[in-house]
Formats: sequence, C-alpha cells, structure tokens
Amino acid sequence: MTTLDIWLGILQGCRVTASVTLYALLFAVPFGLAFGIAQYLTTGLLRFLVTCVIEFWRSSAVIILLFVFYYALPVVGVTLSAMTVAAMVLGLNTGGYASQAVRAGLQTLDHGQKEAGQALGLSRTAILVLIELPQALLVMSPTFINLLIQLIKATSLVSLITLTDMTFRAKEISQVHYEPVPIYLSLLLAYFVLCYPITLFGRWVAQRVTPGREVRRGV
Amino acid sequence: MGFDLDFAIATLPLILRALDMTLLVAVTSCIGAAAIGFNLEILRRAGGAFGLVVRFFIDFIRATPILVWLYCLYFILPFYGVRLSALTVGIAGLSLYYSGYLAEVFKAGIDAIPKGQAEAAQALGIGRRDTVIFVIAPQMLRNIAAPMGNYFVSILKATPYLAVLAVPEMLGEAFDIASDTYRYAEPLTVAGITFLALALIISRGVKWLEDRLATSSAR
Amino acid sequence: MDQSDKDTVVRIDALQKWYGAFHVLKDISLTVPRGARIVICGPSGSGKSSLIRCVNGLEAYQQGTIDLEGVRLGENAAQTTLARRKTGMVFQSFNLFPHLTVLANCTLALRRVSGMARGEADELASQYLEKVRIPEQAHKYPGQLSGGQQQRVAIARALCMNPRLMLFDEPTSALDPEMIKEVLDVITGLAKDGMTMLCVTHEMGFAREVADEVVFMDHGSIVEKAPPDQFFSQPCHPRAREFLNTLLH
Repeated sequence: MTTLDIWLGILQGCRVTASVTLYALLFAVPFGLAFGIAQYLTTGLLRFLVTCVIEFWRSSAVIILLFVFYYALPVVGVTLSAMTVAAMVLGLNTGGYASQAVRAGLQTLDHGQKEAGQALGLSRTAILVLIELPQALLVMSPTFINLLIQLIKATSLVSLITLTDMTFRAKEISQVHYEPVPIYLSLLLAYFVLCYPITLFGRWVAQRVTPGREVRRGV
Repeated sequence: MGFDLDFAIATLPLILRALDMTLLVAVTSCIGAAAIGFNLEILRRAGGAFGLVVRFFIDFIRATPILVWLYCLYFILPFYGVRLSALTVGIAGLSLYYSGYLAEVFKAGIDAIPKGQAEAAQALGIGRRDTVIFVIAPQMLRNIAAPMGNYFVSILKATPYLAVLAVPEMLGEAFDIASDTYRYAEPLTVAGITFLALALIISRGVKWLEDRLATSSAR
Repeated sequence: MDQSDKDTVVRIDALQKWYGAFHVLKDISLTVPRGARIVICGPSGSGKSSLIRCVNGLEAYQQGTIDLEGVRLGENAAQTTLARRKTGMVFQSFNLFPHLTVLANCTLALRRVSGMARGEADELASQYLEKVRIPEQAHKYPGQLSGGQQQRVAIARALCMNPRLMLFDEPTSALDPEMIKEVLDVITGLAKDGMTMLCVTHEMGFAREVADEVVFMDHGSIVEKAPPDQFFSQPCHPRAREFLNTLLH
C-alpha cells in the first residue's frame, strides 16, 4: 500500500471531520455567547443556575459525555443520530469553554467604558452590544481560535461512536493492511496540516490585538 | 427499558474501584508531563537550532489530537519490537502530549518574573544557584501553581482516553460492566458523574489556591 | 596600592562600553574619594545608568578599568565578587522580592552570602529598617507598602551588606511626587552620616543640597564636572545649560 493510498484513504474521512466541526460550531457559538453574557449580567440564584449549566458542559470529560449521550439517550426514549450527538456534545463542551472567555473578556474591560456609555444615555443592551461585546470579543479572539483547534482535535473522538472521520478511516485501513507506522504517522500529519495554519493565524491575530505590553514597574 | 436507578447505584462501587487507577494515571502523567515540559522549555530558551526543533515539536503536539498520539504509540512501538503494557503506553502518551502544554506554562511563569529580580540579587552578591532557589523558583512556582492545577484537571479528564487501550480505569470499568450486563446507559452515566464530581472538586481546590496566592502577593 | 588609593573608594579609568555598534560610554574617568557625594545627571540615553550599573558589575564593559578600594572589577571571578560586595545598589523600580517579607528581603543576602545566623541577621536588618524609618513594616510583604516605603526598604536591604559605596539609579523617578521627599530625606540622612554615594537623579534641589560634585553626562561622555553651586549658577558647557533649561521650564 503506497503512501498515496494511505493519504487518499484518510482524506475520505476529512469530510466527516469537517462536518462535525462545522455542526459543532452551530452549538458552540450561540452557547458560548449566550451563557458568557448571561454569567456576566446575572446575579444570585440565576447566575448560579447559569454557572451550573456551563460547568456541566465544561468540566465533564468530553469522551464520556459522548458515550453517555450516545448510549444513554435512547434508553430514555430520545434517539439522535451519531452526528447530532457528536455535534451537540463537542459543540457544547467547546461552547462551555468559550463562554468563560466571553465572560472574562467582558469582566476585564475597563469599567469606564460602561460608564461612558451610561453617561451618553445608552440603554444597557446598547452598551453591551455596541461598546462592551465588540471589545471583549476582539481581545478574546486568540482564545476563540485556540478553542477551534481544540474542537478540531476533539473530533477524532467521533470515530469511537461509529462516525467515519479521518481517525476512523485510518483505523479501518490499518485493520486491512498491517502497516501501522505509515498509517498512523500520516494521520498525525493530517491533523497537523489541518490545525497548524490555524495556529499560525491565531498567532498573527494575537499580535494584532495585544497592544504593546506596558513597561513593568518592578516588583 | 428505561433508566434503572437501582442498577446505576449498584454500579457505583464497582466503578469507584477503578478510581485509584484513574488517579494513579493522572498523577503520574502530570508529573511526567511537568518534567518533560520543564526540560523542553529550558532547551527552547537555550535557543539555536535545537531550540527551533523543540519549538516545532511543541507546536506539533499542540496541533494534533491526543487520541491519535495514543494510537501511534500503542500500534507503532510493538512494530519496532518495543513491547510496553497498555498502562505504560497510556501514561507515556499523556505525559508526552501534555508536556507541550506545560512547557508554555513554564515559559509564562519564567517570563512573568521581572528582570530586575535577578539583577537585585546579583547586586546583593547572591550567587546564581541561590538566586534560582530563593528568588526565581518561588516566584515561578507561584506563577504556575494555578495553571498547573488546571492542567492537572485536564489530564484527569483525559485519563478515560486510556479506555481505548483497555487500561482498567473508571471508563474502562464502566464498559466492562456494560458488556457483561448489556446495559450501557447506567454505568456510563455513573462514570460520567464521578468524573464530573472529581473535576469540580479539584477545580475548586485550584481556585482556592489561586485566590490565596493572589491575596498574599497583592498588587 | 599606592597611598592615594586609601582615600579613594572608586577609581574609574578610561572606561569604554558598546552595545553592539552603539558607543554607550566614551572614555569615562572618574574618581570618587571616601565620603564624596556625587550626583550624575544628564538627558536620557546619556549613559548615566550604564555607568552606575558598570560600577557594581551588573553590566560588562569593553575597555578601561574600575577599581573599588583597590580591588579590580572584572579581573577574575573572585575579585569581581569581592569588589561588588563593596557596593550597594538601589534601583529605579525597587526590585524588592515580592514573595519575601520586608525583613526577609533584608536578611536574604546576610544569610546566604555572609552566612549570618538568623537571629543576628534579623537584628541587624531591624536596625537598618529603623534607620529608614519603617521598623513597623518588617513583617509585611512589599506589595502591601507604598512606593516610597518600598524604596526605603530597598535602601535598607542594600545597607545591610555594609557597603562602602551606595549606588542610586534614579531612585525617585518611579515614585509619585508626594513620596519623593521621604526617600530623598533618607538618602540625605545617609549622606550626613558620611556614606560615599554615586547617585543618578533629576532631583536638582536634592543635588544642590547634598552633592559635593555634579557630573553632567551627554552622549556617553562626561562633559562637565563641577561643585553644585557653580554647576547650577554658571554651567560652562552649552549642552549643560540646555539641559538645565529643560528642567526648569
């Protein structure tokens, strides 16, 4: 089996890897935004509930969540396709992390920004949408890019619930042809080719959005 | 069929039996990752061609999935006649993989110490070794304590990946019960909740530590 | 060691320093007699900080010599260590160790370098903390103190090693205006006690009151050296006049 055959085989799974990533983003982006903002704005019991939801998705081990939702949901009468389960679990897990970035971005903004908005007579919503969010999202953009890389890497897990992504294809090929060395190294390289450009893009963005670090004042 | 709560509760002690294996893997891997990561960072700091190689290696790790690394080690090593137990391969894989992340933690920890600290020690006539031990290391440890704790949680949440290599940690135990009883939902859910509880407890501890360090070094 | 060296704390002779192609110090010669209080001033980038950092070996130089009480800096490791111990350095940004208490900041070198026992070191450090007028802060961490207090601790920390020469590198320029006086008062007190000092500063009132010689540097050279009265009333060099004008207006 030639290296080309191996690459073509792995490439067959690229579509599934890409689909899972894209569908997962459909869950991750709204969840991250909504819950990040909610955690920033709410207080008391409401904030506790919001935090509980975030923590469930963020602090669970994603591989177990995947199995639990794949095997346990049908038992209670909910049958979802493997693709839906994968997109939802990976998406909400990533969204949980993203929500923390959104909240942190909002919290670290200079308080004067909100006050300036209030002084201009803007509504709370307008301040959030027009003043706070654009700045917070920009500052946090390197984190979001990092999370995208984490998401793409996590899609390798869907091979465990029968989805035919790149990892699944590689395992399939290696069961037919016992050549683990070229097959698994190619698989490693395939993910690298997919993720490394995003890493470089993230670095470029980080350089642009981080203003020159202020001079340290000792201590 | 429905979710059998009594059966779920009955599986809890069985799954907890594997808790020591899970913790053993997490702690050993974390120590391994810290040791490798620290050395990687020191080598990277030395610069030169070797520094570039280390830099690329760290980038490579961060752009590839842990699952694929585990497959690589598990299937490729025997091909070259290296026969290790699944447990050893798993711990080696987690250590190697997270070393790429911990190297960044060490980098940030060292970078955050102002240059004046070493200079002040030098001006007082304190030697190089004593400077590292009494001035640099304590400040680095304070800088890295919280991120290290967070990565420990990440490593803990990655231990169920070893189930794919048939290491009898908690997820593996849950699957064993599942295949014996043909009931997947209950043991998997119990394993998921156990991991979530562990992760939350340890995260809490890390947060507490972080707050304490923040107040003792106020400003 | 010839006779005149007995009364000389530092002798800098034909010092040259480059940062790559940039010539930072050009043929600097300066002798500091015991008990002298020399203020070095000049525009930023004139090399005054580099000079003072060379004197205690924080920065290397390429040509010339620096002798501290007859011990040559940079000759070999043992001599350099010996020479450096004769100096105490106070930095612009304090550089206190944030993880150690005020007292521990002062005793670290006593215990690690001089090998002093804990009790003895604590006692000595307390004396110096008293001298800089903050004995009551001994068990606090640097982060809990104001900038002026931190700089006074830094002075006490340097004094603990019983230096023959104190080096001050713009000790007040990182401070808020209301804290400058408390630090300058401490330095003035040291001067009155007869401490030899080399001080880089822009505080001209302080220079006028304390210094017995003002050294003006520009572009890496010493362009004027005069007693303060003469320097401030009738500076010879046009660049010194220009510099004084920018400070006054």
